[in-house]
Amino acid sequence: MDKKPEKELVETVDETLRILIADDNDSDRLILKTIVRKEGHTVYTACDGQEAIDAFKKESPDLILLDALMPNVDGFEAARVITELAGDNLVPIIFLTSLKDAASLADCLAAGGHDFLSKPYNRIILKAKIQAFARMRRLHETVQDQRDKIIKHHDHLIHEQEVAKVVFDNIAHSGCVDAPNIKHLLSPMAVFNGDLVLAARKPNGGMFVFLGDFTGHGLPAAIGAMPVSEIFYGMAQKGFSLQDILREINNKLKRILPVGVFCCTCLVDFSFRNETAEFWLGGLPDVFVHRKDGTLENFCSQNLPLGVLGGDKFSTETRVIPMAKGDRFYMWSDGIFEEVNENDEMFAEEGVRKAFEANKDPEKFFDELIEAVAEYTNHAEQDDDHTIVEASMVAEEDLGEYFSERDSRSLVGGPPDWALSYELRPLTLKEFNPLPLLTHLLMEVPGLRQHSGKIYTILAELYSNALEHGVLGLKSELKASPTGFAEYYGQRISRLDALDAGSVTFHLDHKPRENGGRLTIRVQDTGPGFDHGDKDDNHKTAGYCGRGIPLINTMCESVRYLGNGNQVEVVFVWSFDG
Amino acid sequence: MSGNPEDHFDLESLDDLKDIMEEDFQMLLDTFIADSEAKIVEIGNIISGGDAEALRQVAHSIKGSSGNVCATSLSEVARQLEAMGKDGDISGAPEVYEALKIEFAISKDILLNKI
Repeated sequence: MDKKPEKELVETVDETLRILIADDNDSDRLILKTIVRKEGHTVYTACDGQEAIDAFKKESPDLILLDALMPNVDGFEAARVITELAGDNLVPIIFLTSLKDAASLADCLAAGGHDFLSKPYNRIILKAKIQAFARMRRLHETVQDQRDKIIKHHDHLIHEQEVAKVVFDNIAHSGCVDAPNIKHLLSPMAVFNGDLVLAARKPNGGMFVFLGDFTGHGLPAAIGAMPVSEIFYGMAQKGFSLQDILREINNKLKRILPVGVFCCTCLVDFSFRNETAEFWLGGLPDVFVHRKDGTLENFCSQNLPLGVLGGDKFSTETRVIPMAKGDRFYMWSDGIFEEVNENDEMFAEEGVRKAFEANKDPEKFFDELIEAVAEYTNHAEQDDDHTIVEASMVAEEDLGEYFSERDSRSLVGGPPDWALSYELRPLTLKEFNPLPLLTHLLMEVPGLRQHSGKIYTILAELYSNALEHGVLGLKSELKASPTGFAEYYGQRISRLDALDAGSVTFHLDHKPRENGGRLTIRVQDTGPGFDHGDKDDNHKTAGYCGRGIPLINTMCESVRYLGNGNQVEVVFVWSFDG
Repeated sequence: MSGNPEDHFDLESLDDLKDIMEEDFQMLLDTFIADSEAKIVEIGNIISGGDAEALRQVAHSIKGSSGNVCATSLSEVARQLEAMGKDGDISGAPEVYEALKIEFAISKDILLNKI
């Protein structure tokens, strides 16, 4: 007989395995042990099923060759116990059997065996099987390892998101999205879906409401929400205009966001006093206004989203619409329009219009719409997040209680007793609006914030009088006719442009009094003044045409002109009760 | 007792086994012979006692181990006993048992003296 070349039979294995051999027959065990050892593996042996279980516990082998029929505990039972002990780990079990019938071989696999090897042993097949299971084992380990890593990364990500959400909530929810005239739907983790709803009260008593929808999801979408919130709240509170805020947010996003990431936006400025809504819409679906009389109007986006255009190309042109009390303004991210039914048809504008048509009580429309979407999609999982905001026009007084409660939270810690003078010279008058700064300063006085609307109005009136009539010498009579109005503002621009002398000075003085305070505002300009009659009694009369004084009169304890009429002093007495 | 090795063994496989076992080959033979002798005595007792299931188990064991040392004829005789045990009819077992003893003696002689 020719011997087969040794080389062909004994190939080197990649891996040294630790293999348990359990067989009650001494000679069989000896043969198997010798073969397996020659392949370079470490061998443990057992003479019956119980010994096999014990050896498994002690040595945790990589692979088990298990005789099916053994005294005491047989191979089938041992396989069940060992598989259970192994838990998540894969321990391949190859049954050794001289049984030939299909049912017995199937039993081997049913008992948790991965394969079987028939007696008499064929070394080549045995070796191939050991190698195959070594590969399977490595694969299983890799999968397990990756699964563990994924779980760890997932936990880590969730933890990070929770931390980020807390930070974000602290910033984003500092506003008044929970004001009684606002309803909104926003998923709790919406920040990571890129949706953002912000609302802030303006110092003049109005309200800004912002809806943003960043492209993308997850952290890249969330990251832009931070600066947007910061800028929005910071500037809104200081009295900046809608245009100023938009421009600032746009510049910031343009600078920090990568190309292709931007923020579809609707920013609305609600004036409760004028009963108007001024809004800018970029990239979001149409906004709707549902009138109290049941009519419906929609307005489409006329701008690109924020963060797309550079500063000079960016337009802050807005639309102003009248809003009577009870009129409702709706804005939304595209999620709601893109929800699909079973036939993959979108909810779309038509769906919204149908919901409006079906509506009887406007107060319930918000909930009806959400229900309509849920019904349309047959309560399927949301594909996208629908963020919806409803903001109603109300009387300013209706919000008084809400805001005074919030304001009362910050009654301590600010400066109650102080005075300052602030002189604005030509270069400053040309470029700078001092009202946000001054309002902000005054709002530091504990308790004064609830009067911010009045104070802003007073400052604005006095400042424009001092600048326009005093320093620039414009005649208020011009404003009486529409053509004169334009003329007036034309002159304002040219005169301001040419200004090289003159100033406006604010003298502010605040003193605390019981349950409130007394704010004296004196504004002085370098203009020629006017004949104010020098009668103290006159100060309450509505005599000074076009100077906005009647309005101020209603707000202040006293209004006096001093000197040659180029100084005006108002005293605003306030209390914590409003 | 004598016989031609090629009538009782798969000699090609036996050669392979010898190569694999190297210096352990003798130990394997000793182990196999001692184990089989004990089991053959056991089978004799079992047949006297008439326990078919016990016969099936022990004959199965001899069938497997003799197959592994390439003793194909011995393995075949053991298979017949195993089948009888499985069927539960061991009336013909004493006759086959005699054949088993003879086949084992021949196989042992070949293993120890002729290869």
